[in-house]
Amino acid sequence: MNTLVSVYREREQTILGGGFILLLILAWEFIPSLVSLPRGLSLFFTTPLTVVQTFYQLVVENKIQSHFYISAIEFAVGLAMAIAVGLPLGLVMGRSRTVDAMLDPFVTAFNATPRLIFLPLFILWLGIGIWSKIVIVFIGALFPLLINTYEGVKNVDRVLVNVVRSFGANEWQVMKVVVLPNSVPYIIVGLRLAIGRALLGVVVGEFFGASKGLGYMIASAATNYKADVVFVGVAIFMGLALLLTLPVKKIESKLTRWRPETAKTF
Amino acid sequence: MGFKEKYYEYQRPILGMVSVVGLVILWELVFTYLIPLNPFFFTKPSLIAAAFTEHIIRGSLWSDLVISSRAFISGFSLAIIVGIPIGAVMGWRRRVEYTLDPFLTALYASPLVALAPLLIVVLGVGLVAKVVLVFLLSVFPFIFNTAAGVRATDRLLINVVRSFGGREKDLYLKVIFPSTLPYIVAGARIAIGRGIVGILVGEFYAASEGIGFAISRFGDTYMLPEMFSAILVLMIVAVALTEGLRKLEVVLAPWRVGQEAR
Amino acid sequence: MASKNYAEQNRMVPCIQAKDITLTFKPKNRDPVTALKSLTLDVSQGEFVSIVGPSGCGKSTFLNILLGLIKPDTGEMRLNGKQITGPGQERAMVFQEFGLLPWRTVLANIELGLELKGIQPSVRRERGMELIKMAGLTGFENHYPHELSGGMKQRVGLARALATDPEVLLMDEPFAALDAQTRDLMQAELLQIWDRAKKTVIFVTHSIEEAAYLSDRVIVISARPGRTKDVIKIHLPRPRDYEMRLSPEFNEIKAGIWSTLKEELITKRAGDGV
Repeated sequence: MNTLVSVYREREQTILGGGFILLLILAWEFIPSLVSLPRGLSLFFTTPLTVVQTFYQLVVENKIQSHFYISAIEFAVGLAMAIAVGLPLGLVMGRSRTVDAMLDPFVTAFNATPRLIFLPLFILWLGIGIWSKIVIVFIGALFPLLINTYEGVKNVDRVLVNVVRSFGANEWQVMKVVVLPNSVPYIIVGLRLAIGRALLGVVVGEFFGASKGLGYMIASAATNYKADVVFVGVAIFMGLALLLTLPVKKIESKLTRWRPETAKTF
Repeated sequence: MGFKEKYYEYQRPILGMVSVVGLVILWELVFTYLIPLNPFFFTKPSLIAAAFTEHIIRGSLWSDLVISSRAFISGFSLAIIVGIPIGAVMGWRRRVEYTLDPFLTALYASPLVALAPLLIVVLGVGLVAKVVLVFLLSVFPFIFNTAAGVRATDRLLINVVRSFGGREKDLYLKVIFPSTLPYIVAGARIAIGRGIVGILVGEFYAASEGIGFAISRFGDTYMLPEMFSAILVLMIVAVALTEGLRKLEVVLAPWRVGQEAR
Repeated sequence: MASKNYAEQNRMVPCIQAKDITLTFKPKNRDPVTALKSLTLDVSQGEFVSIVGPSGCGKSTFLNILLGLIKPDTGEMRLNGKQITGPGQERAMVFQEFGLLPWRTVLANIELGLELKGIQPSVRRERGMELIKMAGLTGFENHYPHELSGGMKQRVGLARALATDPEVLLMDEPFAALDAQTRDLMQAELLQIWDRAKKTVIFVTHSIEEAAYLSDRVIVISARPGRTKDVIKIHLPRPRDYEMRLSPEFNEIKAGIWSTLKEELITKRAGDGV
């Protein structure tokens, strides 16, 4: 009995959290069989086991792989572009007050606006192929990376910069030796946020005006009342989100442990 | 000498305005004199301005905005009413946090917009679906931020109030609430963006009114200046709300230097 | 013109009596720490007593028990004969990190104790303004803590503690966060306020000089777990002025305190495994 108590005490966090989720899943599974749903609702209802079965079925029948592949490309290309643009731009904006002042209104405006607004425009310009989705992913992932890199560069300790300068370093060397290392934790946080936004961008972008991809799969399943497929899609994204952000989070906590100030966490 | 000093003080907003105005002018000039304007593909500021004024006068833009706002405000208010108490309890009692946090984080990480088609199919096209969507998307920042704010309450201040004879109610009213307020406002700022996404998804997908619907309809019918002007309107609203909340954050918590500068 | 202090006039009227106080902290996932062990000491009414000791000896913990925020595991803490069971209006604390509510003005901060007692706003305001004058904060009533210097913040802390007119003033290294000059200034002001208001003061500090300069008695606490090691009476006349700190008698007193304290510091270093 004592060992049970001590095990609980050690892993209290996991037990409570995991237990709650488990409880919800079980409730979801069994309540519909106990309670009869209003007739309209039952058309769109599903249970965890059904979702799992459907998932298995889709994989076996090779129906899901092509969708996954397309979405993966959109995600990867969009994210890569965001990193390629966001990091250098954030660096420049952080170091140059002029560039910062000139770009600030645009960054503020586009950061506050949900990128979904531009989707009809992008579809108009780029059609319903992968490029309109890639641009949505790109915009979503760009801002966390840009802003966090910017913050990391701006927050560099002026004293350290002066120390390095006093040894005769030029701007380039200052960047390399002081600014970049200082910014890495911020960039990592930005990356974690960017991944989440990029995933969201894929889903949302594929919702409207697409013919392939996981988001499209979800949207069309919904219109055909296939709730189980919808949840398969949602679950995949959830899993991907956790899978991709967990290692980044680990790196992040290792790097930010010694930092008194916090980077942007949203 | 005085002019130079003034310049440095206002440098940032001046440069900002210069670049925006400069871009607009450049845009207009390029497409008027340099590149022929394909009306099915692009537009220029003068046309956007014309479409903007006409739609304000004719009024459909305004009514679209009102319709979308109604759904947004309802969903957002619901998110505040539900999210803040949950967050407060989570921040105050660690056990509750342990229980709820993984579940809520998983929900936050999952693309809830994916459930939008389901919701619309179940709840039908209209206000209710939009409100639910806005609520689902904007409740999480309130929960997480309130929890963070409560958790970050300075224990010293709690001891101070207790030492002067404060009871539980005093702790909540005089310490925890004022201390958490800036966090809640920050959460509101984040929630606004997510809530707008909810409106847009709801209206893009299946609606016949609202500003999101207007944007997609203009797109379908290649009415580019009108589309740009509608997008612009929404951008202005989004920026105004977000920046307004940012200013509010600073007002409420002038002692918190260096936090969440953007 | 040396005046007898209040305590000597009310000779030996015990105000605070701590007997056999023991307290052990049991943090999660770590070994328990005994902060205080059978600590016994008395403070008379109107006395100014300092408590010195090595870091971690439990001085602040003792103050918190006096304040009523923590309960000791064993032992008794009495105020005027009655056991202390929680915070009360007769005791008020001045905190090292000031503890001012950042969203309240200076005046609102001072009024905190009165507010919690349910006193009317107009009465509160009057008393608050009195204290503002006394603490030398005139003109700053509507400022916010983050606009003030450390010294001024602590004046607010002091004014706040005095607002409810407590019998006992508990001070937990109140001047430790201030620069040397401000510290000297605050010490002198504290003595003036104490002399006028006739409160019992228990003052925790790391500085032997500060303890000797301010107090009637200095109590040295042993290294952890804390016990009363020694009680040294300060025979300097009052009112005390700055020049006294330069006198040979003062240095003797300091040396006396130091020799006792030194043993405890060595013990502590051994205990820390340095």
